[in-house]
Amino acid sequence: MSSPGEHESKDAALHGRGGFDEGAFDALYRSTVADVHAYAISLLGERPAAEDVTALAFERLYRARSRLDRGRGTPRAWLFAIARNAALDELRRRQRQPHAEAHESVEERDFTEAIEQVERRATVREAMGRLALRDREVVLLKFHGQLSNAELARALGISESNAGTRLHRALVRLRERCADLDRQEVA
Amino acid sequence: MRIIPFPDRGRTGSDETVLAELEAALSGGAEGPRAESWRELREDVRSLASPMAPGFERALERRIAETRAHSDPLRSGPRRVGRGLGSLRGHRRLVVALASGLAILLVAGLIVRPWSRGASPPEAGPASLPAARELRGSARGAESEPAVRASSAPAKSATTSSNAPNAPSAPSVSSATEAPDRVQQRAASISLGASSSEVQAVADGVARVATSAGGFVQSSHVQVQQGGSSGAELTLNIPSAKLDAVLASLGQLAPLRSESQSLQDITDSYEAARRQLADVNAERQALLRALSAASTQGQIDSLRERLSGVSHAIAQAHVALQTLSRRAGNSEVEVSVLGDRSTSSEGFTLHRGLHDAGKVLLVTLTVLLIAAAVLGPLALLIAATLGGRRAFRRYRRERILDSH
Repeated sequence: MSSPGEHESKDAALHGRGGFDEGAFDALYRSTVADVHAYAISLLGERPAAEDVTALAFERLYRARSRLDRGRGTPRAWLFAIARNAALDELRRRQRQPHAEAHESVEERDFTEAIEQVERRATVREAMGRLALRDREVVLLKFHGQLSNAELARALGISESNAGTRLHRALVRLRERCADLDRQEVA
Repeated sequence: MRIIPFPDRGRTGSDETVLAELEAALSGGAEGPRAESWRELREDVRSLASPMAPGFERALERRIAETRAHSDPLRSGPRRVGRGLGSLRGHRRLVVALASGLAILLVAGLIVRPWSRGASPPEAGPASLPAARELRGSARGAESEPAVRASSAPAKSATTSSNAPNAPSAPSVSSATEAPDRVQQRAASISLGASSSEVQAVADGVARVATSAGGFVQSSHVQVQQGGSSGAELTLNIPSAKLDAVLASLGQLAPLRSESQSLQDITDSYEAARRQLADVNAERQALLRALSAASTQGQIDSLRERLSGVSHAIAQAHVALQTLSRRAGNSEVEVSVLGDRSTSSEGFTLHRGLHDAGKVLLVTLTVLLIAAAVLGPLALLIAATLGGRRAFRRYRRERILDSH
């Protein structure tokens, strides 16, 4: 999984005037494959489905790379738009409530972290689980995709102001869910 | 107690302010506890997802490599067609432009094809005039023949015609069928081509030729229409002796499109009329002699009455003979001046060049207009269908988000 801000330097090369060739695709793949997978598994809640969506997103992007219009969005935004469509299609096909990923590995990984961080992340996980899918999806796109507001708008297929409004509302609700959980804990 | 340093806690602000702060914090452009808390939240959310399985990563790389192999024409020969279509899909604008061009060419072909057969709608009317005239001439000849036979004097007739491109010199019936001791009636029709702007001048020239030859214009009809079809119809009456010269002069006024001449032998009719006149004259002389020898008043009155009838018959015979003489001495020439467009191709001038260029432009615009009329609604229909399909797919996807 790439670190925050790491993708920015890699994307800088992709955002240039040059064509979206094989090298650019490879660079984008390396810098985003973990993020796409993380977004898909967080949204779908199942590893096989997330892997299918991840593979599908890169395959579609590769086939559509010649149609990529830099004026209408960055390759990263295109990639996450494709991944989002694939994930929503998967959800629609299954019509199944996405459930939380088995977090054993996460828990195991977090053993070494500070107790405070573990508790905070547990709260965030639970709050995310209580969010509506529409709100959760925006937060996941924003944080996993590491998209700017403009890129987020492109991925969602809406205007930038609408995307900002949706993101802000989702964050407010996430805050409310966290506060509720905090109050329950205090009580 | 769980410690949640949520960034926006206890703070009110507009969407833009919060989003700008979030953007600055996530991009690393802001420092401080609030920016740090935004970044912690991002890491918290990102940490919720399980990492990729190592096996999946390798499988995904293989899968993408296969996709590349199937999309690469150098690595997969049989899929070159698919690759070509894929590259065409990549150049959607080029494909649309090519399709539009082909459609316009198709429409242009459908429009131009009937005109290219040499019977374009604007030219069909004037071009058919000579043929119609010849048909009328034939019909007239057929009508006149029984009239001649009714006088028990079989008439002989001959008609020759030519079209200008195949006959550089005007045809003449005189050399082949004209006999010095015969009385013959000649007629001719001639078609001249001119541009619409030249029709009036050519018609004036036709009239001048007729009068200079000692003839006159029996009837004329000149139509000059700006931007439309123009033409002139003139009927000349000229001395038969000058028919050939007149036809030659007419052929010099404008390009000759077609010409036809007809000859009808009226010698028998003429001789019959002449004999009729001689007979009644002889009868009158006999009656006069008888009158001079008459002795009684009754004989005198009877002879005078018969002389009166004979005098009337003499006048009728004289008129008939004069009519036949005029028919033999004068020829009727029908002249058509066709103001059609094909004439402009004969000889190049700047004016005709500009005229042709304007017409080409007009036809091009017409073709484009018709093509737009055909393709416009079709494109709108296709765009509406594609847009509706896309909107429906998006609606179904978005509905999933609300159902959970």
